Amino acid sequence: MSCPRTAPAAGAAPAVVRLRARPLRIALVGQPNVGKSALFGRLTGRYATVSNYPGTTVAVTRGRALVGAEVCDVIDTPGVNALEGPLSEDELITRRVLEAGEADLVVQVADAKNLRRALQLTAHLAAFRQPMVLALNMVDEAHHAGIVIDTAALSERTGVPVVETVATEGRGLEALRGALADARRPDLPARINGEQLRWAQDVATTCRVGTGRRTARWQEWIGRAVRQPLTGLPILALVLYLFYLAVGVFGAQTLVGWVEDGLFGSVINPAAMSLVGQVVPFAWLRDLLVGEFGLITMGLTYAIAIVLPVVATFFLVFGFLEDSGYIPRVAIFSDRLFRTIGLNGKAVLPMVLGLGCDTMATMTTRILGTPKERLIAILLLALGVPCSAQLATIFGILGGISFWALLTLFGVVTGQIFLVGFLAARVLPGDRSDFVLELPPIRLPGWKNLLVKTGLRVRWYLREAVPIFLGGTLLLWGLDRVGALAWISRVGEPVMTGMLGLPASMSGVFIMGFLRRDYGAAGLFALAHDGALTGVQAVVALTVMTLFVPCVANFLMMVKERGWRVGLAIVGVITPIAILTGTVLNHGLRFFGFSF
Amino acid sequence: MGSASSVSAFDDAPRLSSLRAGTRAIVRRVLPDRSGRAERLLALGVTPGAEIEVLQTFPGVVLRCDETELAIEPAVARAVLVDVLAPPRG
Repeated sequence: MSCPRTAPAAGAAPAVVRLRARPLRIALVGQPNVGKSALFGRLTGRYATVSNYPGTTVAVTRGRALVGAEVCDVIDTPGVNALEGPLSEDELITRRVLEAGEADLVVQVADAKNLRRALQLTAHLAAFRQPMVLALNMVDEAHHAGIVIDTAALSERTGVPVVETVATEGRGLEALRGALADARRPDLPARINGEQLRWAQDVATTCRVGTGRRTARWQEWIGRAVRQPLTGLPILALVLYLFYLAVGVFGAQTLVGWVEDGLFGSVINPAAMSLVGQVVPFAWLRDLLVGEFGLITMGLTYAIAIVLPVVATFFLVFGFLEDSGYIPRVAIFSDRLFRTIGLNGKAVLPMVLGLGCDTMATMTTRILGTPKERLIAILLLALGVPCSAQLATIFGILGGISFWALLTLFGVVTGQIFLVGFLAARVLPGDRSDFVLELPPIRLPGWKNLLVKTGLRVRWYLREAVPIFLGGTLLLWGLDRVGALAWISRVGEPVMTGMLGLPASMSGVFIMGFLRRDYGAAGLFALAHDGALTGVQAVVALTVMTLFVPCVANFLMMVKERGWRVGLAIVGVITPIAILTGTVLNHGLRFFGFSF
Repeated sequence: MGSASSVSAFDDAPRLSSLRAGTRAIVRRVLPDRSGRAERLLALGVTPGAEIEVLQTFPGVVLRCDETELAIEPAVARAVLVDVLAPPRG
């Protein structure tokens, strides 16, 4: 009954209700990138993705925490810069949590380095009249910057308990749990905006000890180098090249080689075949397990041997970039370019995230300012941004053919992104928003967060993709058994052979591509491996597949975010674009006699 | 620029967009527009009276306000009126 233990009332009555029919609900609210998710992880033991850029959390996460003797519900919310005025969709989610009274108590998580801004938000939060605790997070970084905060004075001025924490190291957690018992409604002056700003300025100045004049550290130096054009653009090129080396060469060739040829090709599949051959009496079941469209020889081999090594390398390297604070700085360079397609530099976050997973990135478009920007970003993600699983197959197939083949594919796909974006920006109603982006501090990524995050993402890939790979394989096997595959190949021949110049048997692969484009591409991988495709055919087929809607999950996410009409419209726009682009590419390459 | 119409003829204060890298200044005011530009900047700490330092001007403007580093597009920088404190050192 004592979460938080109501302190013996000294003067004002504690604002926390004593008797509860359900667990006390605590919302973690604060500016973007102040460490709410890290704190959530420490309180609940549940991992919510932690990265170093504003907009990592775009949905509400819930977990349970033990405070004193009582179990409490903790709610991790998307970061908010304000709760009044123009809000982006992720900010609206947090506002709704507060408005709907989904929380009994609010812990405002603040960046101790930016007290004034935090207090401006405290003033907004006060309007919801909920008991609050103020957690000054990242005090370690504040101390490095020479900033010390008089927490007692701050508590006096705001009327709420103030604790200092370093969430990533678990420091100050006990103090925070203890302070929950004393949560109070903030005691602030008049709710007039100008008044609040002055109040925040005044309190921040009086409660802040120390000047905050930073010493030149390596982080500053790197931060400057990556954002200035003269050094920043070569660094961007270098980062992309290293990324390619890690994912495209090491992951897609070395690792896949080990797992596919070494493990599956020479150990698992032969063993499975001989075992199934001895144990299983039915020919059709043997076929289903280890045949041409076998669950083991095709489904599992694709998911584990071809895609998994690349996805794992990708997420490891990507996580490092995420946690370093580098990605938002790329937005400075991309802003002008993105403006031509109706977006602003901030859209670099969902776009780059799409290289990991388009489905997640579709959700991250919530950080963009206007509905028009969201729609364009969702469309372009679905159209042209290959996810890590698909990069796996692209690198795997084209890397083995030639560098020019890779360049052609990425050139065509990037060209389509800008062409379609350019047109969409002019056709769709609405405006783009201003480019205003907070740059997170440059940090050395912690290896522990990196490993946990990568592990969870890989596990998520396995859960998400393996069932589709297996289910899709089952479907193909079934279609093949009843002769439907041959029929589809015949019907699809005019498009497949006539327009795209591909063997008619590729229809099956394209069905796979509709389920998941990486799954379809994995089918191509097998064909290309057997030498059944020419270089031109491989490039054309992969380009078409890359331009398809990524996967069923991505489609459902588009529907969830934007409704059935928009979801279907996007598929209706993208599919003809993909096939027409493939047709033009096919005839163009043949006309000019390219062979890669 | 579309925002030019909202500029009062009396506002002859320098714009953030006209400052060179290294300049420190005090924000005088942010010109409002229909998209809520001023409110958004206020929420990020760019409030009247706040001290800022211009870190970079190309391809976008990068500034520091307290311990926050912000990247903004030139059009937004044009909407911020400032009083210059100190020109770039050196």
